[in-house]
Amino acid sequence: MFRWKATAATIAIAALALTGCAGGGDDGSGASDSGRADRLTLTAIVGPTSYDIGQGAEYGNRSPFFQAVFDTLLQKNAEGEIEPWLATDWEYNDDNTVLTLTLRDGVEFTDGTPLDAEAVVGSLERFRDGTSPQAATLAGKEFAASDATTVTITQPAPDPSLVNLLSIAPGLIQAPSTFDDPDSATEPIGSGPYVLDTAATVTGTTYVYTANPDYWNADAIKYDNLTINVIEDPTATLNALKAGEANGAKIVNNDTIPEIEASGWTIESNELDFQGLLLFDRAGTMAPELADVRVRQAINMAFDRKALLQALQAGYGTVTEQVFPETSVGYDDALDSTYGYDPEAAKDLLAEAGYPDGFTLNMMSTPAFQTTFDLVAQQLADIGITVNYTDPGTGNFITDMLAPKYPATWMALEQNPDWQLINFMIAPDATFNPFHSEDPQVDEYITTIQMGTQDEADQATKDLNAWIVENAWFAPFYRVQGTYAVDANTNLEFWPTNAYPSIFGFSPKN
Amino acid sequence: MLAFILRRVLSGVVLIAVISFLAYVLLYVSGGDIARRILGENATADTVAKKTEELGLDRPLLAQYGEWVVSAFSGDLGRSWFTGELVATSVSTRLAVTLSIVIGATVVSAIVAVVLGVLAARRGGAVDGSVQVISLIGFAIPGFLIALGLVLVFAINLGWFKATGYVPATTSLTGWLSSVTLPIVALSIGAIAAVSQQVRGSVIDAMSRDYVRTLRSRGLSTGSVVYRHVLRNAGGPALAVLAVQFIGLLGGAVIVEQVFAIPGMGQLTVRATTLGDIPVVMGVVIAFAVIVVVVNLLIDLAQAALNPKVRLS
Repeated sequence: MFRWKATAATIAIAALALTGCAGGGDDGSGASDSGRADRLTLTAIVGPTSYDIGQGAEYGNRSPFFQAVFDTLLQKNAEGEIEPWLATDWEYNDDNTVLTLTLRDGVEFTDGTPLDAEAVVGSLERFRDGTSPQAATLAGKEFAASDATTVTITQPAPDPSLVNLLSIAPGLIQAPSTFDDPDSATEPIGSGPYVLDTAATVTGTTYVYTANPDYWNADAIKYDNLTINVIEDPTATLNALKAGEANGAKIVNNDTIPEIEASGWTIESNELDFQGLLLFDRAGTMAPELADVRVRQAINMAFDRKALLQALQAGYGTVTEQVFPETSVGYDDALDSTYGYDPEAAKDLLAEAGYPDGFTLNMMSTPAFQTTFDLVAQQLADIGITVNYTDPGTGNFITDMLAPKYPATWMALEQNPDWQLINFMIAPDATFNPFHSEDPQVDEYITTIQMGTQDEADQATKDLNAWIVENAWFAPFYRVQGTYAVDANTNLEFWPTNAYPSIFGFSPKN
Repeated sequence: MLAFILRRVLSGVVLIAVISFLAYVLLYVSGGDIARRILGENATADTVAKKTEELGLDRPLLAQYGEWVVSAFSGDLGRSWFTGELVATSVSTRLAVTLSIVIGATVVSAIVAVVLGVLAARRGGAVDGSVQVISLIGFAIPGFLIALGLVLVFAINLGWFKATGYVPATTSLTGWLSSVTLPIVALSIGAIAAVSQQVRGSVIDAMSRDYVRTLRSRGLSTGSVVYRHVLRNAGGPALAVLAVQFIGLLGGAVIVEQVFAIPGMGQLTVRATTLGDIPVVMGVVIAFAVIVVVVNLLIDLAQAALNPKVRLS
């Protein structure tokens, strides 16, 4: 008797769900009075750490949250090229130390305060003096408002990455009225295309936005509402896709691509990260063997990159031997076949360098990438190098790597625009050059890239990349495919230079 | 009775204090470089050092814990290091979500378990066998696997319920039902298995007691004996099991909320502990500790009210 009641209750609930919001997702195609689609629902793998740009401003996988509520001074288009945005014009002085920006007139923050040169200066200073991940990129720069719509950025030496930086996190402009408010971590005020609906938002999980009714660039807004759900679990992401509860989703597990495509979704992709070995100790202070370029070259020859890509990334990506990405002026296709997979030749090189019996190399591992570490150890063992792994604990992986506590390490690293990349992994004080490797030739190239004309800089970037490959500072394996899936109702132009698409890259079909 | 309550409340407070200290020390020891984890690989060493100082992580452990205790007593649990949200807000909004699922699961499992337990005890034979098998399956299959199966069938294939996310009842009642039904079912199955066995045992045990024989001899029908008298006596132990289940369900919610991407305590706990977000983990620990202490206190009070002997012990 009770079973019947339970069954009846189940059916009643199911009926309610069916007539109510079963499925729950929006198809994103219902046009409204504004001529826009109603809602765009996306999933992301991380939420913003803090909306206060002095503490949390970040692009990469966190970009859509910031892009929705703040404007940047400059903008990147679908090809990754820099375009005017809050700044309509920008110009360097003769020695590239002063950048003058002309601001768009009449832009307001969503609290009604004007977005003028004073506000921009305040925001840039807040970023520079704060603790956002990229805060150091504005270090040493001074900002001044010459009039209501003119801002000058003065720097001690030319910075070829500055214009790019102003199109990403450092260029985000936050309303100065929120600077002293601790709630600005969760209640952002910007001038962006959307306004965060704090009542409907669950911080860390669900972010709900409504279109900014007074946006200066109304045509760029394609949806009345925007929802971004943070889903860390790849299976839950897949479930959300299959149940039609999202219009777009960042896919972290490339193994699931065939399944996603089979469900009628479109895959858009780019390649931002490379994975491989960082041969940090090029002077041999910790592992004397690495001081010999032949040893580093032998390590490069030890890896069957195609097989690694197939085994570890299901083939989604491109094998490479250089750290500069395809979008870089320094990229050279030919460099990718500098070191063919040849364990015998690698052994010969090691013998030539004085290690006929190989040697032991200390490296770090972490459980999340165990298969990778096993394969790396196996391929190195084939040429006589014994890998001795230490697991420093997840929380210490990068800290120990940069301490530096190991002469070499496996890592996935972001491939930034050239000057940022150089200052990230090649320059003597670069974050990912923890042994401060230095070479007069490298220094010369770097100086030319910073100080030379555009042509000279481009050539020096090419030369630098070739030098780094030839001297085997790294042993990259492949660039990993960054994957984004969109449903049948959504168009996406996935820019090539960020882990997450621009929110302006989405538009409804029809 | 008042002294009894006071004693219990006091021991609860001590317990919470001890738990908070142990949690802090464990988090601190296993934390690694939290500033680096917040900032990621792009940050320079200088920025990491600045962040460490900003969070006060460069000070001794006891100083940090002391400061946390002082703030906590004034009602300020701080802000998340990873989202900037007030910990009190994080915990209270997510607790509401989790409690709605856990209480729902407790009610559903209590009702179903009593029905199944009584049926199994009374009918015996094939009915009992079936209930035993169902219980065994409920015990054996992990909650997350049940959850995944439910999503696949009822959310993705049939489209009856939401596969991910949570809709507050205040926004839409049907939306809420659509988002909580599968998690509640997934959570209930294990609890039903445990509680129905308890009920079955208690009923069988009570049926062989002298008072049942007496009642029967007075001509009462079996149904009346079972539902009016036996169940009332069997209810005590079943209630205790149910209370334990309730606390266990809070743990089960951790996994189920991950599968359904539901913004509850489970998701908050997993995220905060994996990241090393100490303020949030401490908030979660305190919230759970308080719930466990209060639930236990209520059970003690209920049992003391029923049975005066408990008060003396």
